[in-house]
Amino acid sequence: MARVVIIGGGWAGCAAAITARKAGAEVVVLEKTDLLLGLGNVGGIMRNNGRFTAAEEIIALGAGELLAITDQVTRHKNINFPGHKHAFLYDVTKVEPLVRKKLAEMQVMVELETRAINVQKEGSWLKSIVLANGSAVEGDVFIETTGSTGPMGNCLRYGNGCSMCILRCPSYGPRVSISQRAGVEDLLGQRGDESYGAYSGSCKLAKNSLSKEIVEKLDREGVVIVPVPTEDVNVKKLAYKVCQQYALKEFAENIILLDTGYAKLMTSYYPLAKLREIPGFEFARYDDPYSGGKGNSIRYLSMAPRNNALKVEGLSNLLCAGEKAGLFVGHTEAIATGSLAGHNSVRLYLGMPLLELPRALALGDLIAFANEKIKTPEGLKNRYTFSGGQYFKQMIAQGLYTTDVETVKLRVERIGLTNIFAEKFL
Amino acid sequence: MKISDCIDAGTEYCPCSLAETGECIMCSQLQGKVFCDCTNWKGVCIYQEYIWNHSQRKENRQVYRCRISAKEAVSPAVTVFTIQVKRTLARELKEPGAYVFLRIPDYPTFFDLPMSIMSADERAGVIKIAVQERGVKTKYLLQREAGRREEQQREEVLLRGPYWNGILGLKYLKSFQKGKALVVVRGIGQAPALPVAKKLLQGGNEVEVLLDRGRIAVDFTGDLFRKMGCRVLEKQLLKREDLTITEETLAYLQDSLLNKGVGLIYGGGSDLLHQGLSRLIQEVERGAFFVCSNNAQLCCGEGICGSCQTRLADGSRVKRCKTQLAALNIYEGR
Repeated sequence: MARVVIIGGGWAGCAAAITARKAGAEVVVLEKTDLLLGLGNVGGIMRNNGRFTAAEEIIALGAGELLAITDQVTRHKNINFPGHKHAFLYDVTKVEPLVRKKLAEMQVMVELETRAINVQKEGSWLKSIVLANGSAVEGDVFIETTGSTGPMGNCLRYGNGCSMCILRCPSYGPRVSISQRAGVEDLLGQRGDESYGAYSGSCKLAKNSLSKEIVEKLDREGVVIVPVPTEDVNVKKLAYKVCQQYALKEFAENIILLDTGYAKLMTSYYPLAKLREIPGFEFARYDDPYSGGKGNSIRYLSMAPRNNALKVEGLSNLLCAGEKAGLFVGHTEAIATGSLAGHNSVRLYLGMPLLELPRALALGDLIAFANEKIKTPEGLKNRYTFSGGQYFKQMIAQGLYTTDVETVKLRVERIGLTNIFAEKFL
Repeated sequence: MKISDCIDAGTEYCPCSLAETGECIMCSQLQGKVFCDCTNWKGVCIYQEYIWNHSQRKENRQVYRCRISAKEAVSPAVTVFTIQVKRTLARELKEPGAYVFLRIPDYPTFFDLPMSIMSADERAGVIKIAVQERGVKTKYLLQREAGRREEQQREEVLLRGPYWNGILGLKYLKSFQKGKALVVVRGIGQAPALPVAKKLLQGGNEVEVLLDRGRIAVDFTGDLFRKMGCRVLEKQLLKREDLTITEETLAYLQDSLLNKGVGLIYGGGSDLLHQGLSRLIQEVERGAFFVCSNNAQLCCGEGICGSCQTRLADGSRVKRCKTQLAALNIYEGR
């Protein structure tokens, strides 16, 4: 029996757990906090722009479980906001227990409040993951999905300090880069000015703290756009943002709220006193990050070099996914890479050739595109997502973007990969 | 796996001078790496504390002028000092492994003498310390230097503290509960074992003390251990000729580990005693924890002077005044 150990229980880790399990492995997920999904607990945006195509590709490839859950708890379908079309917004306050239930049904072992801090290896083979309590978790193949956000020291050195985000490092301990511990140096994302890292791109306001009119509009339409007072418009802040698909002029000139259960405020941070000057926001308070008036978490300081099958270079049995696998933004991207890494973990165990998704699919194209770009100095300053920026342009240019579900099914079928992630090897 | 924590991490004395010089024991950001690699998290981001403290260390430990309220000569070699301190300090020194530096007033700082706490009473504001006459500093503290005039009776002492790293393997000591523990002490090592036994008893453990009078030839703690609720056995722990553990004691220890379910051994004696104990625990392979007194040559207590630096089997070097290690790591490969 192949034993696959996944480090990090975010969207990527959960997706990897599902496909590794489907392929027949015994799967353990190590998660440092008391919640799965990591930043997915404060995310919510699905299927906007090219993410629609990508989501349908994931389903056609046979790994639709998590998308079924996000679709199930979607509060708003097919909404538009500046630069974005046909977005689905899932309810972040409903999604985590459902994912946890799904993993339990699939007999994935989930170890919560379990922080990985080191590795034991022989040559280029990882033998086990060392936990903060000193014990070790052995495995045949390992998948690192620890992400690239935080911990506090990084958020302080490259941001405005710990803003008390959902990852809760002070409570559960900091993220440790497993690939770096195994001797493979991390790659670092940069901002335009070549400083390192980037801010997470949104804050969440407690809906109850906003005016009745705003809440009603959010509940009804999913989106509320309020102009920022001219003197407070800070276009420069866009350059610090992770989510370049949301780093548009409209996002500096307007307060854009999306209804994800919270009122998701599409800016990295916004001083509370300033925010409360805006009509309807007089009582506003942050629910994530708690100090959203001051800063946000810093990301992209910890990517592993990897091939397009998501195996980490220089190590024989470590795969990676999610932000760990490149300058990716978003849950769809995490689920896409996670599903591939989970599937490939069993192939790796069996000595089979690892699956590389062809560039005829948006998934394969993004994974390969991000890998080409990360090797260039300019590419390190960019982020890669189906939903906007440089990659969405490429997606359109390549003719990969479509909202026609049947077209996606046909494409996947034509290259013979329909339900490949559902295939059982063991 | 090697645990190496800094005993001061997260305390009011952290970050310290080591952070200012890029030598922090815990934090990669303060070791010049500029990225987090936080394998030894202790609940506080030291880098954050450092930046918020204007990129400076916290204030150093204070030196207090304290009155010696009693001196009890328990043998020609050993005197127990009772020292009056602030109640806060007494409370901070209640932990097993606590120690202070003592010095005679008006003498230079290189007379600083690291001394383990035998007991601390936070209500009365007193601590007790057993001093064995050994070298220059202890002789001065005991007022046994030549040419000293009677009228120069010293009733005061300078005290610097609190320090806490007098025991290695504190993590095991503090988390061991409802089991059986052996406290194996010899000579002056009896004194700092009292707070150890107390901690073990608080954890609901059965505690047996094997006590060897050793070089000081006096049992000045047996009654205190018994009063706490420990069983005390007097035993010769080391052979006179080569200072290895006697066959009888070895057999007793083996039996304790194999048949009596002893899950933790504390060694309070010389390095030779600790080596013998750690070897035995590894040979028996019953997963018992080993905890022992930190016998390093402590001099400044702050990780600065280098006198306590020790090379481990894996080639790494540790400052033993601040680094909290598993005791087995110190004695392996020697």
